[in-house]
Amino acid sequence: MIAYLCAIGIIALIYCLLALGLNLQFGLTRLVNFGVVAFFAVGAYTSGLLSLQGVPLVLCFVAAGVVSGLLALPIGLLSLRLRDDYLAIVTLGFSEAVRISIQQESWLTKGVQGLPGLPKAFASWGGGASDMAMFATLLVVVAVVAWGTVRLAASPFGRLLKAIGDDEPALAALGKDPAWFKVQVFMLGAALAGVAGAFYAHFITFITPEQFIPLITFYVWMGLVMGGSGTVRGAVFGSLLLMVFLEGSRFAKDWVPGVSEVGMASLRLAAVGLALILVTLYKPNGLFGGKSQ
Amino acid sequence: MTWIDFVNLLINGLIEGLVVALPALAMTLVMGVNRFPNAATGDMLTTGAYAAVAVQLLGGWPLWAAALISMVVTALVSAGSYTLIFRKLAGRPMVSSMLAAIGLGFLLRSLIGFFAGHDQRTFDLPLVRAWNFGGIRILPTDLAIAAVAAVSLAVVFVLIYRTSFGRQLRAVADSADLARASGIRANGLMLSLWLLVGALSSLGGVLLGMKAVVSPEMGWESLIPAFAAMVLGGIGSPVGAVLGALLLCVAQELAVPLMGPSYKLVLSFVVLALVLLVRPAGIMGRVQLVR
Repeated sequence: MIAYLCAIGIIALIYCLLALGLNLQFGLTRLVNFGVVAFFAVGAYTSGLLSLQGVPLVLCFVAAGVVSGLLALPIGLLSLRLRDDYLAIVTLGFSEAVRISIQQESWLTKGVQGLPGLPKAFASWGGGASDMAMFATLLVVVAVVAWGTVRLAASPFGRLLKAIGDDEPALAALGKDPAWFKVQVFMLGAALAGVAGAFYAHFITFITPEQFIPLITFYVWMGLVMGGSGTVRGAVFGSLLLMVFLEGSRFAKDWVPGVSEVGMASLRLAAVGLALILVTLYKPNGLFGGKSQ
Repeated sequence: MTWIDFVNLLINGLIEGLVVALPALAMTLVMGVNRFPNAATGDMLTTGAYAAVAVQLLGGWPLWAAALISMVVTALVSAGSYTLIFRKLAGRPMVSSMLAAIGLGFLLRSLIGFFAGHDQRTFDLPLVRAWNFGGIRILPTDLAIAAVAAVSLAVVFVLIYRTSFGRQLRAVADSADLARASGIRANGLMLSLWLLVGALSSLGGVLLGMKAVVSPEMGWESLIPAFAAMVLGGIGSPVGAVLGALLLCVAQELAVPLMGPSYKLVLSFVVLALVLLVRPAGIMGRVQLVR
C-alpha cells in the first residue's frame, strides 16, 4: 500500500511539474502549447540514452532539461509570429512529429521496442527506499519550481509576462518588445517538461514511443484548466485532481463488470474528453483559479 | 525512380489530395465563420466511416447507401456538437473552443473504440484488378473515390458561391456584426453550416476508409495533414483548402521514396511550419486572418 501510494505520488508530482511548466507558458504568457508531451518525451529519451552510456544521473537530468529547452527554441521563435490557435496546432503537430521520429530512428532510440533497463534513481538504496527518496526529491523540485513561479509572477519580469498574455499590442505600444520574453518562457516551460521526463524515465525504467501520445499533453491541460490556469495553486491542485481522476478510473473497473482492459482504456479516454468539454463550458477559470482573466 | 514510378506516385497523391480536401474544406469553413480550428474534424471523419461500416454490417446495404446514411448521422452529430458545445463557447478565448474540440474528438474516438473495438475494418467492396497502362496502374476504386470527392467538392462550391445560403455564410465570415445588422439570422445558418461540415467530413471518412482501412485512429491521423492543407491554401479560402490538399498530398507521395511512408505526417508538419513562417497567408488567403 505504501509502495502504491509512493508510486502514485511520484506520478502526481511529475504531472505537477509538467503543469507548472505549462502554467508558465499558458497560464502566465498565454502561449498555447499543445505539444507538452514532445518535450516530456525528449527529456525522457535524452536522460535515458545518456544514462545507458554510463553518464551520472545528475548530469542526465540536467541534459534532459537543456536539450528539451533548446528544442523549444525554434517553436518559441515560431510562436512569435502566430496567433494562438495556429500555435496550438503547430505544437500538436510537432509533438506527433517527435513521437514518429523517436519511433522511426531505431538506430538511436530502439524504435517501438523502447529502452528497457534504465537505471533507477537512488537504486543503491534498495526498492522501497529508492522510491521514497525519489518522491522526496521530486517534492523538493516541485516546491522550488512552485515557489520560483510565485516569485517570478510577482517580479517585474512576471508582470511583463502577464501583460504579454493580457494585451500584447498595448505592451508593444509602450515600447516593450515582448518577443524575447515569450521565447524564454517557452524554453523554460519546455525545460521543466524535459526534467519531468527524466524523472519519469528513471522511475518507470522502461520507455517506449507509445507512452508519449498526445493524450499526455491533454492530461496536463486538463489538470491545469481544472485547477485554474494562471495560478500555481491551480496547477498543483489540478494535477492532484487529475491523479485522483486517473487512478479512480482504475478502481472504477472493479465496479463496472464485464469491461475489458482495452474497453476500460476507451472509457477513460471518453472521460477525459467529457471532462475537457465540461470544464471549458462550465468552469473556465478552474476550481481553484482566481477571478476571470 | 523511373518516370513511370513518378507518374504512379503523382496519381496516388492527387487522389489522396482530393480526399484530404474534404476535411480541409470542412475545417476552413468552420475556421472562416466560427473562428477556431475544429480539432474534432478528424474524429468526425472516423464517425462517418464507422457509421457506414455499421450500416453495411447491420443492413448489408451497398456502400453508396451506407455512405448516404452515414452522412446524415455525422451531420447530426456535427450540428449537435455545435448546439451543445461550440455555440456556447462563442466569444470566449479561442483556446476554450479548441480544448473542447479536442475533448469532443477524444469522446467520439473512445466511444467508437468501446463499441466497435480497435481492429481494423474494411468496407464490403468488390475486388477489382488495377488497369495497367504500360506500368502506370490505376485502380478503378481509386477513380471512383476521386470522382466522388471531386463531385462533392463541386457541390459544396456551388452551395458557397451560387446560393443565398453561401452568400449569407460569406457575409457572416467577413463580418458577423454587419451580417446580423443586415438581417441575417445566424442560428439557422450556423446549424446548416455544421450539418454541411459534418456531411463533408463523413464522406471524407468513407473515402479514406475505401482507400485504406477503417480504424478508430484514422481521423486523428488526418488532422494534421488537413490542417496543413488548410494553412497551405490560406485560412478561410475554400479554393485554397482544395489546392493546398492536392499540393500537400502530391508532395507527400513524391517524398515517400526518399523518406519512407512513416514520415508523411512529419512532412505535413514541416510544410505547415514553413508556410506559416514564409507565407502565413497561404496561397489564397489574407494575412490578417493569421496574425
